[in-house]
Amino acid sequence: MIEATYLIVQIIVIILLAPLVNGIIKKVKAFTQKRKGGSLFQMYFDLFKLFKKTAVVSDVSSWIFKVTPYIVFATAIAAALIVPVTTLIKPMWFPGDIIMLVYIFALGRFFMMLAALDTGSTFGGMGASREAMISSLIEPSILVSLITVGLIAKSTTVSVIMNFMQEVHNPLIHPVYIMAFCALFIIIIAETSRTPVDDPGTHLELTMVHEAMVLEYSGRSLALMELGAAIKQLVFITLLVNIFIPHDQMIHLTGFSAVAISLLVYLIKVILAAICIAIAEVSTVKLRLFSIPNLAALAFILSFIGFLQYFVFGG
Amino acid sequence: MSNYLDALSVLLLTSAFMLMGNKRIKSYIKTFRLQSILIALLTGIMGINSLYNDGNVDILVVCMVVIGIKVVYIPFLLNKTYENVEYKVEKDFFLNIPILIIGCCFIVVFTYFSLSTTTGINTGTINMQVVNSISLILIGLFFMISRKKAIGQIVGFLVIENGIFVTALFATQGMPFIVDIGILMDILVAVIIMGIMVFRIDEKFGSTDINKIKDLRG
Amino acid sequence: MGFVLLAVPVIAVVLFFLLKKKQYQHAVSVAASIILMLIAALLTREVILFKTIEYSALGGIFYIDSLSIIVLDIVVIIGFMTSIYSIGYLEEELKHEKLDKGRLRIYYILMYAFIFTMLLALTVKNIGIMWVAIEATTLASAFLVGFYNGKDAIEAAWKYVIICSVGIAIALLGIIFLQFSSIGVLESSQFLDWTALFNNAQELKGPTLRLAFIFILIGFGTKAGLAPMHTWLPDAHSQAPSPISTLMSGVLLNGAMYGIIRIVAIINHSFGNSIFVGRIMITVGVLSVVTAAVFIFTQKDYKRLLAYSSIEHMGIIAIAIGFFTPLSIFGGLLHMINHSFTKSMLFLSSGNILQKYNTKEISKIKGMFKLLPVTATVFLLGLFAIGGTPPFSVFASELVVISAIFQENNFFVGGLLILLLAIIFTGIVLTMFKIFYGNDTPTETSPGEINIPGVCTIVGLLVIITTMGLYIPNELKGLIENAVQIIIGG
Repeated sequence: MIEATYLIVQIIVIILLAPLVNGIIKKVKAFTQKRKGGSLFQMYFDLFKLFKKTAVVSDVSSWIFKVTPYIVFATAIAAALIVPVTTLIKPMWFPGDIIMLVYIFALGRFFMMLAALDTGSTFGGMGASREAMISSLIEPSILVSLITVGLIAKSTTVSVIMNFMQEVHNPLIHPVYIMAFCALFIIIIAETSRTPVDDPGTHLELTMVHEAMVLEYSGRSLALMELGAAIKQLVFITLLVNIFIPHDQMIHLTGFSAVAISLLVYLIKVILAAICIAIAEVSTVKLRLFSIPNLAALAFILSFIGFLQYFVFGG
Repeated sequence: MSNYLDALSVLLLTSAFMLMGNKRIKSYIKTFRLQSILIALLTGIMGINSLYNDGNVDILVVCMVVIGIKVVYIPFLLNKTYENVEYKVEKDFFLNIPILIIGCCFIVVFTYFSLSTTTGINTGTINMQVVNSISLILIGLFFMISRKKAIGQIVGFLVIENGIFVTALFATQGMPFIVDIGILMDILVAVIIMGIMVFRIDEKFGSTDINKIKDLRG
Repeated sequence: MGFVLLAVPVIAVVLFFLLKKKQYQHAVSVAASIILMLIAALLTREVILFKTIEYSALGGIFYIDSLSIIVLDIVVIIGFMTSIYSIGYLEEELKHEKLDKGRLRIYYILMYAFIFTMLLALTVKNIGIMWVAIEATTLASAFLVGFYNGKDAIEAAWKYVIICSVGIAIALLGIIFLQFSSIGVLESSQFLDWTALFNNAQELKGPTLRLAFIFILIGFGTKAGLAPMHTWLPDAHSQAPSPISTLMSGVLLNGAMYGIIRIVAIINHSFGNSIFVGRIMITVGVLSVVTAAVFIFTQKDYKRLLAYSSIEHMGIIAIAIGFFTPLSIFGGLLHMINHSFTKSMLFLSSGNILQKYNTKEISKIKGMFKLLPVTATVFLLGLFAIGGTPPFSVFASELVVISAIFQENNFFVGGLLILLLAIIFTGIVLTMFKIFYGNDTPTETSPGEINIPGVCTIVGLLVIITTMGLYIPNELKGLIENAVQIIIGG
């Protein structure tokens, strides 16, 4: 019974925190451009507004178009259950591992691409093909870097990995973790459609990837798609900060107060990570589509070298 | 402390990959500067360590000289040369960048396997540090071969020298002091000479594309 | 005394900076080279008497033994010949306005800086400083190669700098491995000290030493012009001004070979006449000779042809060192001396030809006996000499080397070498002989030698190589035998 409570805490934290991360990133970008920017909680207001509106659906589209927002949201929540926000909570029914994580996201992405093609608009087809190319180049890197960490922890279950990392002193000094961290950072940028891979605020078809796929949605469907994307972003950030900057070993209390402090530290870590992503976004330009393989190759070689360092050092 | 050295050596390797993935000449120079800062940090840590243990300031002095020459002066020289020369971005390559990066990957693997079968080097934990530094040398060589513009070749040469310096640091705690200083002076003069030559090449041939200067053959 | 040797070129460079009139500069150059010759003679006498010269100042870096003094003497003598020749050569260039006074000063400054770095490489015990000096020779001669500032010259200079710098960097990696193999055997004050490494050679770690040798061979071999790292050599030696080509061919290649010989000595002392080192050196040497043989037939530029001949002779020296018997090393060192003198004579004569005809192409030069009688005679005899004809000195040393090969019962390499030498001789003869005879000379040139001091030097060199082909003075023989003993290790 207690575990179920903690499970619900996990889902609530993730759903509530996801739009805040977007808000922080937009605010930091605005500051660097010497603007005030929208409010930190703007995305909450947007989602509320969208949930109240009705969706407009093209009549040449099939059931895929209607089902996709729910699938995207569901896969995002399922992924959120695999990556605990604090290791004091152990998800009971989803002993999910890394490969399952990657494939859950792949499922969501697959349906998103199909739905984009479904409406028959050119934007959709273009976005879908670009997304297919980018994701196929990026996926090997995720798997190699996470499996390297999993090899060290002798398990591929994410929560077990996070528990293992609590014992490691200062992971960011070991070469293996440095490489996996850098690779994962690049992957976050690619998976969450940030500059330099994709411009999240654009309306030009030249620079659209993710935007092109959600272009046709409106009302509640759009809210679900946006929230799903935000949750995906937060799940990746959680993966990054909880594995490589473990904090739970420093908490010596037990019970409810421990969870509260753990969540607070987690919040701080997420905010810092969001600021870093925003700074990375601001300091580069969007790459040409045909230069994205360069970035993907860089991510791959970083993760591979991390694996090689593990192979030599033995963790 | 050897943890920090491991981490720095792997960051050096990362900077080599970043160098390989670059197309703009200004980025070559910036990445080289980053690499030199990492090397200066490395030398500094080893220098402080040797100061505690043996009490000699040799390595620290070398660290200062490295900062002066490689971090400050040589990028300055390269930037000045870069301003006088036409091309700012390399447009075409023999092989495209992802293949070059995967080539770098093979280089690291190859170095590792070659070194692990050579007795005398594979003792203790020196292993991965030396592998990283020798891979740096080979990646510098690879970089030099894969770039068509003259400044790219100069940067490749500098990366090779960086790699050799780091190998000396890791494998043997640095060369004798005079030799280190001599090597750094040599590199400085070499870069000055190469810079002047690039300028002359640009004057005579109209571009710094090395593949165009092929009059002497056979 | 030794430090005076090193100080003389430095003082000369400073004087070149200060003095503006070209007569003074010529005078300083000749004076400096004569002083260098005198000091070198004194040092040679000391080495013959005392076997080695070592000063303990500056941490005992300064060190000359029989091997160093042989190469040093070659440097100094050829430097002297070149400085005398340069006077006439540069005056002629000034007359035709190919240079101005400022460039003349830069020429002398760079030339003496080059000589200084070369002397430094030969007089130190520490392999690291030897490396620094050899790299410095590349840098000092870079602008000398590109001196004329034409398109070809700049291309040659760029190739020279890049290829030699990368090569030397690889040699540095080899030196690091060498130092690594001596951890635990030598104390840190003795790292990279040649005598210490040589004496403790048996305890150095084997595989690391092999790795070190390969890298150093590739590195210094680039500088010495061994194939397949030789690609810079034809360009650099043909585009440089002729006295500089002389210095590079006669002095620089020897210096790089000297570095290789030092390392081979350590390794053979460690492994005891290893087949590994020998085989690699012989392969590289044969490859160089083959490359030269193939390319000589297609040359249209006579200076490039002479450059390929340098590659060939460096290959022969590498083969001689590779066999590592007392006779073959004697032959190799003797060949170093003879090749330097003969090649210097040829390059200096080619300078005369270039100034007279103003072209580097073989096909445009005809009737040389009419226009430049003395140079033509010397050049013709020199071509015979470099092809290995008796009674010249190159024949003698090649004979020694080939006898040493056959003494080792290696008929394959011996026979191959003889065949290749014959092919090269044919190539030289076929390509070059058209320039000597014929009546139709270019009409705008008048007969007569231009560079009188230069003519004296090349005749002097001709006399030297003829004498050395017939008779080797006993002191020289003793010196070379001492050097062989040093390399093999007592």
